[in-house]
Amino acid sequence: MSRAPTPTDRRIALGIGLLTFGVLWATERPVGFVRDESVYFAAAEQFSRWWALLLHRPAMALSDAVITQAFDFNHEHPMLMKSLFGWSYALFHEMLGWVRPAAGFRLPAFAVAALIPALLHAWGSVLWGRRAGLFAALCFFVVPRHFFHAHLACFDMPVASMWLLVVYLFWRAQQDLRIAPWTGLAFGLALATKHNAFFLPLVLTPFGVLAAWRVASEEGRRVMARMGQAAGAFVAYVALLLAVKGRVGLVQSWQLLSPQTFGVVALVVALAAQAVRLRRRDPAAFVQLAPLVAMGLIGPLVFYAHWPYLWYHPVDRLAWYFDFHATHVHYAWTYFGEVLRAPPFPLAYVFVVTALTLPVSLLLPMGVGLLRTGARNLGDMVPALGRRFGRSGETEWLLGVNALFSMLLISHPDVPHFGGVKHWLPSMPFLALLAGREFDRAAAGLSSALALSPRRAIGASLALGAVALLPALTLTVHVHPYGTSAYGELAGGIPGAASLGLQRQYWSNNVTGVLPWIDANAQQGARLWLHEVNGLSFRDYQRNDMLRRDVTPAGGPEDADLAAVQYHQEFREQEVLVWQAFGTWVPATGLYLDETPQVVLYRRSTR
Amino acid sequence: MVKRQVPRVNHTAHRLRTAAPALALVLVAVLGLGFQLQLPRAFPSETDYLGVAEVLARSRAPGDVVLLHPWWTERARLFLPAETPVVGYLGDTADDLVAHPRIWVLANERLPRTPDADFRRHFLPDRTALGEPRHFGPLTLTAYRNGRARTVVLSAVDAFDRLEVSVEGSGPSPLPCRRAGERVLCPFDASVEVAWHEVLYQPVRCLFLIPPSGGRTLSIRLQDAPAADALLLEAGVTWEHAWLAGRADVQLRLDSPAGALHLRIPGAHEGFARGESPPSPPGPWTLRVQTSNPQDRQICVRLRGLGTPP
Repeated sequence: MSRAPTPTDRRIALGIGLLTFGVLWATERPVGFVRDESVYFAAAEQFSRWWALLLHRPAMALSDAVITQAFDFNHEHPMLMKSLFGWSYALFHEMLGWVRPAAGFRLPAFAVAALIPALLHAWGSVLWGRRAGLFAALCFFVVPRHFFHAHLACFDMPVASMWLLVVYLFWRAQQDLRIAPWTGLAFGLALATKHNAFFLPLVLTPFGVLAAWRVASEEGRRVMARMGQAAGAFVAYVALLLAVKGRVGLVQSWQLLSPQTFGVVALVVALAAQAVRLRRRDPAAFVQLAPLVAMGLIGPLVFYAHWPYLWYHPVDRLAWYFDFHATHVHYAWTYFGEVLRAPPFPLAYVFVVTALTLPVSLLLPMGVGLLRTGARNLGDMVPALGRRFGRSGETEWLLGVNALFSMLLISHPDVPHFGGVKHWLPSMPFLALLAGREFDRAAAGLSSALALSPRRAIGASLALGAVALLPALTLTVHVHPYGTSAYGELAGGIPGAASLGLQRQYWSNNVTGVLPWIDANAQQGARLWLHEVNGLSFRDYQRNDMLRRDVTPAGGPEDADLAAVQYHQEFREQEVLVWQAFGTWVPATGLYLDETPQVVLYRRSTR
Repeated sequence: MVKRQVPRVNHTAHRLRTAAPALALVLVAVLGLGFQLQLPRAFPSETDYLGVAEVLARSRAPGDVVLLHPWWTERARLFLPAETPVVGYLGDTADDLVAHPRIWVLANERLPRTPDADFRRHFLPDRTALGEPRHFGPLTLTAYRNGRARTVVLSAVDAFDRLEVSVEGSGPSPLPCRRAGERVLCPFDASVEVAWHEVLYQPVRCLFLIPPSGGRTLSIRLQDAPAADALLLEAGVTWEHAWLAGRADVQLRLDSPAGALHLRIPGAHEGFARGESPPSPPGPWTLRVQTSNPQDRQICVRLRGLGTPP
């Protein structure tokens, strides 16, 4: 069976992608700026100036000092998306004046997010038919939190897109060698998007190696064994260094001219040489390994080349980058009435939050799809299960592993748990794909049970799809643009989640709910304290005409005329300090979503 | 006859089995949609809140308090009379509300997952409903007599202007503190003021103390305290300072005519530590506070002399 979608499904995928892009653009205006987003806006703007300098004075732009000056800001994340944000802003806002500043930054995010439904349709239609592909595509984007995160000029949705793209191309490349280089390129872009992508080789290597081993000749297996020995030797060397020097010692000792760097180069050369040999001796096995080889060779090159900050100091800055994310700070997070502040975090957290935030009519097909895939995967090893549920094969293993990997990774009790669902977003497209299969089974069963004609079966499928998607769509429309507050029916909606003691919202974007009141009621030149809204976001609200420009930021309630407090369980003191400073506990207004306080605004009565 | 029925039953069962996934999906979707369409019925209108406010304003008595149920339904603050305290914080059902003989419970039990079991277990004991609930849309307003209330004969917060504050332990005699505006400033970076702060989500207007550095002792003395059935001392570390690991204990000692009352706030303890003395004749109260991590141990103290139930 060909793994390429039909021309019709390619066109449908393109249409879905364009539609998604259009919907995101049409609905972005009310979406507030999460704390990090304004930082990325500023970084993107700064980097776009460097690119302009590169065009006009390349020698100066390429010097170490200028690169460091330009790229030092926000160097905890790579550059791909920030570069796209900056270029888009410079072109569509500054040069052409077609869009407001925020939309200028966000347009590339919409485009990258739109890849997800397009890819889901392309993949789903090949695996289980058009019906499955369409449902998978739509059900991913009508989840309120997914819809919200797709609007942001951040990296969580883009890395979910890139993850899906890499896995999809990897799967295609195992049948079509011409796609292998594209897999490598996509992996490089994924690395250049967010650090999650560094786990992709861990996920995909077993699939490539096992598939190659299965078809390899004796000679091919000997070559592969040598590749394994080279990789094993390097891993053992690093493990030894880790044991002797510890994590900090390893990071500090990894210089440009060091045995470790030599080891990496030697590994790449050895693996490349053996890959060339495998291609000559055993082409069939090479096809299976080719996407991994491409990822290994092209991915790091793209990652290095795209980030000028690494050009002069690749090793120490990369070491810092890994170290930053390996030791990331833990932000407070409310979970069943408890404020989680430090590890160990509850093991079930990721799965519970996923279940409570997904609309139930999507949770059901996603959950059943995952369980069925799990059972069929086990069926490959346990004959009794195989007889009951069927056997899966490589593709279903690939889907199942990717559906679970990011969720299991974040489930580790020592991994930071803040950020709602955004940290395990790369799992969600795969769950949507499995939901597509379940929907297809349900629709096929319905048509069969009712003995419908093909034309009527299409109508029944459309009706069933609409019924299944409607609750999610209703919730998404209802909660937009406050997607981080959304909870599904299992939680009891937003108010149910409040009673359960779950996190109310995160990272300050909900403040848009009180900005119109401030614009209408604040005195000229009023001093405004927007709790948890950083200075860059304050500036962005003003330059995007979401907040009057005469209003000035205050550092705290004590020197403010107005104070807007974000409701977080860990920030209760902040609201009480406003009572103290303003002499009242009666708010002037607030954003109350389904009765739940999200942002509470106080006005000082006299000054 | 039988031969003709069996295949038909099997056929129906087969059709049902085949259609089961679709039926399950439709059922769940309809339930989900039904939930979402029903939910707005649980939301009170402004008129409902204004109706509640009118009743509260009309029936107001000294010591009244409004308790929100569920605790987070704070939108009510926008509408309720500013003079009546409104209590709504995570864990508030366990609050004795000692100073409030009558509690108005403003409840919205139509909201999903309303924590009724918690309310019954923690709030209802010692509380007696005073009449039937009044309904305002989805809201119910019920007055309760608070069986845990006591007359407050004196609160250190109210007597702030009369407090004598000093730092002990830096020499043979205590170092006096001085008043600066609404604060009392002391040597060794210590201070005392009356302020709103949060102790484990509870907003409290209390004596806010920053103890002196160097392990010295902050001494707060009230010379002419009246007789009381008991002295209730409550002390907690404010906000995020409370849970910080590796911080020192806070030692408190209250000397009164009833004797000495010791209280300890362990490091990383969140919430109030409480202690109650036996009946105390009139005379001076002296509270001494000491810790070796003063900047991370900012303390909210409520010291009240309690009388008989009102």
